[in-house]
Amino acid sequence: MATPARKRFLWMSRRAPHGSVQAQEGLDALLMAVAFEQPVSVVFLDDGVYQLKRDQDPARIGRKNFCAGFPSLGIYDVHDIYAERESLALRGLREEDLLMPVRVVDSAALGALMEAHDVVMSF
Amino acid sequence: MTLTVEGRVLETDPEGYLRRLEDWDEDVARAMARADDIELDENHWEVLQFLKEYYEQYQLAPPVRVLTRAIAKRLGRDKGSSRYLYRLFPDGPAKQACRYAGLPKPTNCI
Amino acid sequence: MVSEGPAQRQSAESAYHFAQAALAKGHEVIRVFFYHDGVHVGARASTPPQDERNIGAQWSALAAEQGLDLVVCVAAAARRGVLDEEAGRRLDQAPAPGSLLPGFRAAGLGQLIESGIDADRLIVF
Repeated sequence: MATPARKRFLWMSRRAPHGSVQAQEGLDALLMAVAFEQPVSVVFLDDGVYQLKRDQDPARIGRKNFCAGFPSLGIYDVHDIYAERESLALRGLREEDLLMPVRVVDSAALGALMEAHDVVMSF
Repeated sequence: MTLTVEGRVLETDPEGYLRRLEDWDEDVARAMARADDIELDENHWEVLQFLKEYYEQYQLAPPVRVLTRAIAKRLGRDKGSSRYLYRLFPDGPAKQACRYAGLPKPTNCI
Repeated sequence: MVSEGPAQRQSAESAYHFAQAALAKGHEVIRVFFYHDGVHVGARASTPPQDERNIGAQWSALAAEQGLDLVVCVAAAARRGVLDEEAGRRLDQAPAPGSLLPGFRAAGLGQLIESGIDADRLIVF
């Protein structure tokens, strides 16, 4: 049955949301980690920060708006959600452009974040 | 496979989920339940309503294993229990209630 | 975890070499999880020309030799037509659906998370 051990998982989501299904499948896997009651943190970087853009309407290109699912993470006590400052800045995104509040961290801090987790997943 | 609701013939997959989610209305839920010998009462509808709102807001169904947690947060601890939910939906709240509520078939089930 | 398909990316080959090297050093590989386009690696129907490498067949052979647990994500495979709906539904009765190479099985994402919990290292290719 359920494995009693717990690992700290870090999700690094690096891809734009709608050009491939990879980011969406990343969320599916993340929700499975949540279902296994593992402590999970999420960091959006590179083109992954586009997933946090508010007011998306991807139905117009035939894609599902799966990014609407990220705010549900709070229900399951996933609160450690980060976005990399440099990735946001390079793409002209400000915090008020995002669909939910996240912690903005410097690129230099990511190493320590990875260090603080047992399993680092990249999507 | 098909489901007939008030003269409309709707396509379903082999497990009875709607092929086209936009076919859903309350009569569809009632017809699906009747086929399982369940008469939907206000407690059923409360759960179905919760699932529909959740799906509308987040564009996904609550993950199966933590469905009870999500329900407990919204509807209260007494209703967010497997015992309560299985009494309402004997085939499992995730499978059966999602089907009645017109949500996509859960894929994160295994 | 193998996260890219065999035709356009090197992910499945890099993972294969890494697994071989790890096994040669005496490490244990408890599971290989094929996700995203990586599910195509397990597709029985893929038939590259004879003078080209068939990475799926190589994984299959390595699994037979070393007893590896090769798992194709059922949802990702169904999305890409590597498994049909029927096979996906009957997972419990059919451990190796006919559309997969020998040594591969289809299962859910729980297998990926479980590997992350149980293994010392989970590596994403």
